[in-house]
Amino acid sequence: MTRTGKAKSEKATVISGASIERSPRSIMGSRVETDRNLLDHIRSSQGYRGNVRLLEEESDLASLGLERYKRAVEMCAPKAIATIDAARLGVSLDKGKCILCGRCQEVAPDLFKIENGFVPPTREKRDLVESLGGRTASEGVKKSYEETGKELKEKISKMFGRSLAVREVDAGSCNGCEIEITALNNPIYDIERFGIHFVASPRHADVLLVTGVGSRNMEVALRRTYEATPNPKVVVAVGACACSGGIFGETYATNAGVDNVVPVDVYVPGCPPRPEAILQGLLSAVDRIK
Amino acid sequence: MLGRFSDRVDEIHHLNGNEVHVLLKRKEDIPDLCLYARDELKSKLSTMFCSDDRGPCGAFTLRYVFARAGGQDFFIVLTARIRADQGLPGFPLDRSLSFPSIAFQFPSAALYEREIRDMFGLFPDGSPDKRPLVLHERWPEGIYPLRKEFDVTTKVDRTGGREYKFTKVEGEGVCEIPVGPVHAGIIEPGHFRFSVLGESIINLETRLFYVHRGVEKLGEKMNLDQVLLLSERIAGDEAVANSTAYCQALERAAGVTAPERALQTRVVCAEMERIYNHLGTLAGMSTDVGFAYGSARLNILKERMMQLNEQVTGSRLLFGTNRVGGVGVELDADKVRKVRSTLKRSLHDFELVISMLRNNSSVMDRLLNTGTIARRVAVELGLTGVAARCAGVDEDTRRDHPYAAYSSLRPDKHHDSPMHLTEHEVEMQMRRGDALARFEVRVEEVVDSAAMIDQAIENMPQSGDLVVSDLRERLEPHSHALGYAESHRGQTLHWVTIGDHPDSLSRYKVRTASFVNWPAIEQAVIKDIVPDFPLINKSLDLSYAGNDL
Repeated sequence: MTRTGKAKSEKATVISGASIERSPRSIMGSRVETDRNLLDHIRSSQGYRGNVRLLEEESDLASLGLERYKRAVEMCAPKAIATIDAARLGVSLDKGKCILCGRCQEVAPDLFKIENGFVPPTREKRDLVESLGGRTASEGVKKSYEETGKELKEKISKMFGRSLAVREVDAGSCNGCEIEITALNNPIYDIERFGIHFVASPRHADVLLVTGVGSRNMEVALRRTYEATPNPKVVVAVGACACSGGIFGETYATNAGVDNVVPVDVYVPGCPPRPEAILQGLLSAVDRIK
Repeated sequence: MLGRFSDRVDEIHHLNGNEVHVLLKRKEDIPDLCLYARDELKSKLSTMFCSDDRGPCGAFTLRYVFARAGGQDFFIVLTARIRADQGLPGFPLDRSLSFPSIAFQFPSAALYEREIRDMFGLFPDGSPDKRPLVLHERWPEGIYPLRKEFDVTTKVDRTGGREYKFTKVEGEGVCEIPVGPVHAGIIEPGHFRFSVLGESIINLETRLFYVHRGVEKLGEKMNLDQVLLLSERIAGDEAVANSTAYCQALERAAGVTAPERALQTRVVCAEMERIYNHLGTLAGMSTDVGFAYGSARLNILKERMMQLNEQVTGSRLLFGTNRVGGVGVELDADKVRKVRSTLKRSLHDFELVISMLRNNSSVMDRLLNTGTIARRVAVELGLTGVAARCAGVDEDTRRDHPYAAYSSLRPDKHHDSPMHLTEHEVEMQMRRGDALARFEVRVEEVVDSAAMIDQAIENMPQSGDLVVSDLRERLEPHSHALGYAESHRGQTLHWVTIGDHPDSLSRYKVRTASFVNWPAIEQAVIKDIVPDFPLINKSLDLSYAGNDL
């Protein structure tokens, strides 16, 4: 094993070190210059739609006017916004369903606010539901990718001897979540330097990353993949579809979330969740293995 | 031109600018008219689909859409009605509900006919392949999801259904290799059944629809704006192409055009989508030939483009670009500056990476003559996009049926003089249809796309509306229209029929490029070796989700 921890940490410094001289390097006969500090940019940009917040300070719904609120409920394609208490006009927002289209903010800007963080992964599905008057509206995560990665790396080296094996299963996704999971493997995110690698067989895996609605035609394959994974195993549902069915919801061809097919330990919402959010989900997954 | 069919044709009318609708008197005439459209009118079968119109006119409607190319921008829609006399709720197999198959004359029709059989229970008479397509085992016979009496949320028993029989290849030394639906990499699910002799593939059969989610049926339950969000999520990497095609279908049905600024913005975002996906595919091809360095470099560029996507539209996959009647993204001076500078830098790096790949014999040797698609196959299967262009079939929806702001742009830069045109034609003839040809086509398209973005930004009005406001008021119940766009995979077609309420659809038909191009892979791998399959698959870059809906 030549890839020691030391070599990896050196690699990480090279990528993130903004102080390194930015001149074109000549590698293998070609001069390709790339951003050394792309990593600094991977915090979400201003306009990124990553989280919806219920604005608590404006919770006086009566003054808000029923009309706009009702339109927001009607408009919401995945039916993430719901009335919990008709008499008090209580609103709840299921972030596991939310596809972050931003329509609610357009209709009722005094009630919903789109922010550029991302929704933290949860262990329980019900924790993704936020309600006005209930628990405090949660802030989107703003932790940097590197911080999460370092924390994860420490845990992985303690528990798994430096390596966590992940198997990805698409159970009816649009390929959006796959693109983001693939991005974790690109040289910018380079998830392998935290000791996480994607394996070709569920028999080698500690963690299953499951995306998609849990489509009817994938039920058998998903169950068999789950059964083929050795214990202890953790299942992470990635994306709104995997958490709740997303915009597809429950149809003749879908299951409204993969937890209707296999047990799920961690829910990562988002449509699709950005790579940082998926990494955060893996951190929660490691915490689940005891 | 259709004079000689006057006794067989009920009416011909012209709709939405470039659709010629021909209503046949009898369904038995479908094959003759289809052959006439192909052979005499020189047009290509683009899609065929059914809709359940028993409510308004007591019949199922079959539509065969032919696209005329070569400088003439119109679509011929052959329409035939299949009478359904009884009320029919929950009714069993009814053999009278059949239509003549055209799959022997049009190989590309075979899949559409199986789809119609599964979803509507109309039987293609004389079809060569009677196996189910969309609905797998454990789906009972006699339940057809796209019929009106079927509710989208129905929970259907997991019993019954028919066994799926793969083609058996027998002989001394022939082995079968089943692969999937869960694959080794981070990709979508699908099943491949190889029959091999030694290492050489002698037959491949694909079985898909594992990620079928019921998109078309869901579209009938949602309002127009929600269907837009749905269309973005048909295939996450084709969000702009699919939503553009959908929005255009609605705009055409309403008889409105999106504001100039929106049209140019659509071009910018569509080409950004093409670039980041082509970069991803080229990186994947580099991985699959075992050249990790090239793939790492290209993936860095892809990531840079995805970060640009986020800065422009608030989503790394360009979700939210389109709105019904326009766009939801305002390209202000700041964004334009970012787009221009990122593209300039990326293009520079891209050319260096590509020249490095081209000078690497271990990469080029793997690509050359691997996964060849013959031109005849490309024509007969009606392939589209890169899969067609790599085999020298020169078609591009952006040029043949200009939409958005493409009429003022050239998707290819070859048409400025007769000499360049001839050069281009010669080059097309020389394309071999192998993985190397697809590599080169994609490289060329990345460069062309960057030029088009530049041009579209140049042409963009500084101010003005982004969305037409009165679209919904202009939509007539039961009107219909075709929308189309060229995704990075090829032509995507969306058909909408407005429902009883103008803010709903009674039929939403989506045909992405992947649906058309999937059969090509079965042809492309013949005589190649199994280890080349991942490379061939990646070089064609087909979407499972876009195919399965």
